[in-house]
Amino acid sequence: MPELKITVNGVAHRLEIEEGRVTLADVLRDRLDLTGTKVGCGVGRCGACTVILNGEPATSCTVLAGKADGAEVLTVEGVAEQGRLHPVQEAFVESGAVQCGFCTPGLVMRIHHLLSANPDPGEKEVTAALAKHLCRCTGYEAILEAVKIAREKMKKSG
Amino acid sequence: MTLKYVGKPVERVDARQKVTGSAIFVADIKLPRMLHAKVLRAGVPHARILSIDTAAAEKSPGVVKVVTGKGCKTLFGTCLWDQPPMAVDKVRHAGEAVAAVLARTPLQAQEALKLIKVEFEPLPFVLDPIEAARPDAVLIHERNGEYRRAEYSVLPKKGTNIFHHYKLRKGDVAAGFQEAEVTAEGEFEFPLSSHAAIEPHGAIVRFNLDGTIEAWASNQGPFVLRDVLADMFGVPTSRIRVRIPYLGGGFGTKSDVCIEPLVAYLASFVPGQAVRLILTRKEVFTGSFLGRGMKGRMKIGAKKDGTFTALEATLYFSDGAYGDTGWPIDTVAGHNCTGPFEFPHCRTDSYGVYTNHPPVGAYRGYGHPEGQLMVSRLIDMLARKLEITPFELMKKNFLREGRKNSLGQTITAAHGNLDQCLEAVREAVFSAPIPAPDDEYYYGRGVAAMMKSPKMAAHSSSVCHLTVSADGCFFLNLGGVEMGQGCKTVFAQMAAEVLRIPMEKVRIGIEIDTDHSPWDWMTVASMQTYRAGRAIVQACERAIEGLKANAAEVFGCEPDEVEYDGEGCRRKNDPEKKLSTGSLARGYIYPNGLTVGVPVDTSGSYRIQGVTDPDPESGTGNAAGSWTFGCQAAEVRIEKKTGKIEVLHFASAFDPGKVVNPQTCRGQVIGGVVQGMGATLMEKIEFRPDGNIKNANFGPYRIPTVEDIPRKQTVTFIETPNPEGPWNAKPVAEHPIVVVAPTILNAIRDAVGVEFYRLPVRPDDILNALAGEKKNA
Repeated sequence: MPELKITVNGVAHRLEIEEGRVTLADVLRDRLDLTGTKVGCGVGRCGACTVILNGEPATSCTVLAGKADGAEVLTVEGVAEQGRLHPVQEAFVESGAVQCGFCTPGLVMRIHHLLSANPDPGEKEVTAALAKHLCRCTGYEAILEAVKIAREKMKKSG
Repeated sequence: MTLKYVGKPVERVDARQKVTGSAIFVADIKLPRMLHAKVLRAGVPHARILSIDTAAAEKSPGVVKVVTGKGCKTLFGTCLWDQPPMAVDKVRHAGEAVAAVLARTPLQAQEALKLIKVEFEPLPFVLDPIEAARPDAVLIHERNGEYRRAEYSVLPKKGTNIFHHYKLRKGDVAAGFQEAEVTAEGEFEFPLSSHAAIEPHGAIVRFNLDGTIEAWASNQGPFVLRDVLADMFGVPTSRIRVRIPYLGGGFGTKSDVCIEPLVAYLASFVPGQAVRLILTRKEVFTGSFLGRGMKGRMKIGAKKDGTFTALEATLYFSDGAYGDTGWPIDTVAGHNCTGPFEFPHCRTDSYGVYTNHPPVGAYRGYGHPEGQLMVSRLIDMLARKLEITPFELMKKNFLREGRKNSLGQTITAAHGNLDQCLEAVREAVFSAPIPAPDDEYYYGRGVAAMMKSPKMAAHSSSVCHLTVSADGCFFLNLGGVEMGQGCKTVFAQMAAEVLRIPMEKVRIGIEIDTDHSPWDWMTVASMQTYRAGRAIVQACERAIEGLKANAAEVFGCEPDEVEYDGEGCRRKNDPEKKLSTGSLARGYIYPNGLTVGVPVDTSGSYRIQGVTDPDPESGTGNAAGSWTFGCQAAEVRIEKKTGKIEVLHFASAFDPGKVVNPQTCRGQVIGGVVQGMGATLMEKIEFRPDGNIKNANFGPYRIPTVEDIPRKQTVTFIETPNPEGPWNAKPVAEHPIVVVAPTILNAIRDAVGVEFYRLPVRPDDILNALAGEKKNA
């Protein structure tokens, strides 16, 4: 069985992985019980499984586990610190950007990365980032609002 | 009294669990000794099964059991029992399950599937409902007409593929068209589409060795699912337990019983072990439900002054391989294709037709978008012929107090105010001058009006259980499923209002467990606020009575001498005598342990009143318990070079009575409009020549992203009091999707002069139509 070394949300793991097409999403969900990462399409088109892999957003359903060997991964479970919601999460709650919640963790990770990399992204940059995600409930209006609220909160918290 | 929580945006009760990834959906559940199922799907749309060889798969690593439908005698259903849990001797669509592997891991199950060999004898197949309805079409169900069914409601034509024929006969349609001085008619198509809830369907079922069956499912109707499983396996309902964890979007695709009978059938082979099946996205397309799929024609007539005289329509629904989930959509489309207008004479025929694709089930709007696409487009055409504005024409014919709808029901003022809705969207979109065409773009505006009445069982009810805890909090328990629409938040708001307590003091269960949640018909038809709200009010009022009764025992007085104030109970005119809610919750316990009174634990229930299925001959009757009306308008621009259609402004106005939560209510409208834009401009299930779905995943099947939304959306609520609803509320959730397509198509007609009858309209369709026009000129 192939072995995988991976650091997730700051914790180092050494795992034996089943032969065959095992993805990073499978490792997170099935092996590490980090089920906050959702799988909506399995082909990297809906964005629900988005995590931060070595500092960049990635659809974990299309990343083979072997390719994540030695990687550092941040998932939605690692975003809230000491039980306090991250400003992006607070913004989602306040803006009404959460409906069914299945796309939410992926979007939280995407926006977390977007605003961490650039505290003041332009409209085009925001749209381009969100366009990698599908949400069937909200029509995106409240998600755009969540980005604005999160931006202000993150600026304030410095 | 001023309202504190009803009518206010409050934080969703499920939001924190969802943003932190803590909410547990069905795919997140693991059980001890759980097996993973993978399904072999037919790959051919219509064929006899000659043989299935599972020998090699059975020996594959990790495999516990390989299951086929051989010998399965069970058909499941709710009103039409025409579907086996797994194909038995023939397959009727390419995604139908023919075999399944149960293994220790999903990968092992997947590997073993490759080793199963199936021999088919292909049969001719049909994917078009009009072709399938012909007398000489290949028969998809030889036993159509013989299946067990609800005989008053499901009306099959034996020896054909028509498993349901709803007909509406109101007045004398021939006389109505004789009276008409102007008519408009057309042939329309609303293609098959995918609901595309982001959570794929999943189910886990375990046959316990004590004779009970447990299921965990992504389903909007846990109690109907329980009944279906009981019926399938001949087990009393009370021995089946269904649990619904968090649900990742429904839109109807999870309202009908879907993959659960298959998973239960598989689990029946391995008693004591749970079997889990989570569909891949591809399987959601090929092996769950599709939506819509209508081909129809309609003709409407009016006098010169614009008064409608008659409507005639024929609708063919391509309902796929099985009919239990399609027939009620066909019925409601047949009588509500009139839209919110009075036609004195109506004749419609709506056919549910078997075809060789996955079954069609409920999809947001439930037959209304299909039927009202036609009438809303024809009204736009008729207005041009009459040389009046569509506003004048619609206003003249709106359903309003005293008028009769197609079912023969009399409309009252409480049903809603279409005039105000129309004025709101006119003001929003039509009040400024329209930009003149420039070098790059055409501009156009369109408008349409909608109505929706929920299609529901006559026993459509909700129940609320309420318990009070010693810390003074109230715990609400209802069987309505939270699938993103926000019903649990609204429930909590309503309870807080009646109990006069802060939201933090209301706790509400999100997940459903049929052993512990009170019965609820189903979470469909935008009914939860309206129906469960009444049950909540009753349960809360009874809890207050219970607290007062306990307090009266302590005070040594009659309960009517006690007042409840949100914090507890006090004796009228004696401010000293005061007890907190928490101290009265379990009866009142004196310091020495002596206790008086009883624990406060109440329930409330409400059934929608007086609803029946339409009369089989006339198609009329009291089939709708409520209506919600609305209007929508759009301004579009179309790029001349590419044909790209942009929605610059989309305005919606609905009359849902009291808006209980403005934030979630607006969320329903904005989301519904964008989903409707997907149907209008992008989405269509397409088939390969071999009968398999061509675009069975996101990517090839494109749904709107943030790049596709309107530049601006305006949402207005007209709050006409509806005394039947809690705080005068009425249903609104599906409604925003109903006439998005005709609104935009009317705007496209305005921009480029082309009448479109088929969805979706994509840039190429615009360019082709414009090129055709030039050629014809």
